[in-house]
Amino acid sequence: MTTQPVSLSRDLAEKQVMRAELSDVDMAVWRSASGVVSAWENRCPHRGMRLSHGFVRGESLACAYHGWHYNCEGACHYIPAHPELEPPKTIKANLYNVTEASGIIWVNAVGTVSPVTLPSNTQAVRSVSVHCSLEIAAQAFKDYCSLSPITANTRTEVVSESPYVLALKAPLPANSPTPSMQDKSNPVSVFIALQRVNQTTTVAHITASEHASETDCIALSRWANKVRTHAEVSVGSTE
Amino acid sequence: MNAALEHALQDWYPIAMLGELAPGERKQSRVLGIDVTVLANDSADETDSTPPITVRAEGAPVHVQQAFDHWWVCLGNAPKPLFSIEEAGEADRRFVPCGVVRVACSPLRAVENFLDIAHFPFVHTGVLGAEPHTEVYKYDVKVDETRDEVIATNIKFYQPQAAKSAEGGIQTEYIYRVPAPMAAVLYKTCPLKPEAMDVIALFVQPLDEQTCDVWPWMALYDDTSTQAELIQFQQLIFLQDRSILENQLPKKLPIDPGHEIPTKADYTSVAYRRWLKKRGAYYGALEAQP
Ligand code: FES
Ligand SMILES: [Fe+2]
Repeated sequence: MTTQPVSLSRDLAEKQVMRAELSDVDMAVWRSASGVVSAWENRCPHRGMRLSHGFVRGESLACAYHGWHYNCEGACHYIPAHPELEPPKTIKANLYNVTEASGIIWVNAVGTVSPVTLPSNTQAVRSVSVHCSLEIAAQAFKDYCSLSPITANTRTEVVSESPYVLALKAPLPANSPTPSMQDKSNPVSVFIALQRVNQTTTVAHITASEHASETDCIALSRWANKVRTHAEVSVGSTE
Repeated sequence: MNAALEHALQDWYPIAMLGELAPGERKQSRVLGIDVTVLANDSADETDSTPPITVRAEGAPVHVQQAFDHWWVCLGNAPKPLFSIEEAGEADRRFVPCGVVRVACSPLRAVENFLDIAHFPFVHTGVLGAEPHTEVYKYDVKVDETRDEVIATNIKFYQPQAAKSAEGGIQTEYIYRVPAPMAAVLYKTCPLKPEAMDVIALFVQPLDEQTCDVWPWMALYDDTSTQAELIQFQQLIFLQDRSILENQLPKKLPIDPGHEIPTKADYTSVAYRRWLKKRGAYYGALEAQP
């Protein structure tokens, strides 16, 4: 399995935990009080509770069911039912490789995590969930650029070996009120990292160049909604 | 037919509360993956021998009996006797059938959760438990050979509001019984009558291996709360449990050791799993019957 995005860094604050699914692997992704991000199998070794329902205390994730505490290495270090007990070293959450790069949290559930290299000076736009396969979503994002009236300065580039990441240059329709997008000397780039949730759901995590204005980001966010509709309609018509 | 289903078919399951259906009314339900129709019969006069209720599975009538304010059904051809709860015959208790809650989990997971106290401070925070009172002290578990039931005794736990009738925190004592694979009964200190114990039972109707309808029932000493208040209290507690039960993975209960990691606090659950395995009660279990 390849490295895939699971969230925009911005959307996982300190002391938060979220659920993420990657090619049918159910995960808990959480950030400690000091900012360390972890991605684990979404199952507490005690009685199988989804860890994404847990809560963060300092540098530990605590399970919602019986409050077992796990540190950033996944080791259980506190069992509230037995406060004096030092938990055996064998009690461990199942860890996946995770890293943050270019404002995105990347995970590989089976191997080393190697995110696609993107510029580091980007800003988060939004994540959008699309009800279609990753292939259809990727095609929709590509199509919608070249179909737009500003094909002249639109360039779609697949920047990785895998189909997971697309980099687009100025993909906005011309009628969007975004002057900075029209500036050919310093074009806004848009990066779309795709997460395969399962066969029928894909999440697109969208970032843009740092110099994109707020208006640009709003326009991009609307554009993403249109792409979603486009993708979901194309699924509907082939069924 | 598989052995797990064949085994489960000989047990009794709740299907409706007494009086739930008006005469002539019917409802559809499911037991062990089999569609059933429940019909409250119109019996014109007292001498009429028509039973008050008829339950049919695939057209054929099945065994029906009434107990603990519920109608119970058995779809098998060799029904085991229904377990007993002696306190159901004590006239000074309040009997409170609490209705039904559907849960997307194995019926065995629902029972096991009911036997668990270590979750009180985290799942029923401020009601049945609260940090820092999280310790589970040593208690006793055994299988009562004559009744063939799992029994856990000498359980003590600090509770902020042990019952609707409790004023402030008390040290509560618990006893648990598992009289059938899909039923559990607990006895706990009665806040209004410390020499007696309240009874709360969980009767589980297996819709299939990963879905169940849970029918809580209580036999209490409480002459201050209304029936609606008592039901609301129990429902609140159970809805908190449901948020856990629907998020346990896998959905079916692993009964062989190795999949999950128990501690001393889980002795009741460990005994329950062993007891299920020994009697061949594999319906809702992760493993196939060996
Ligand atoms: S299931 Fe996580 S602490 Fe018990
Ligand atoms: Fe509970």
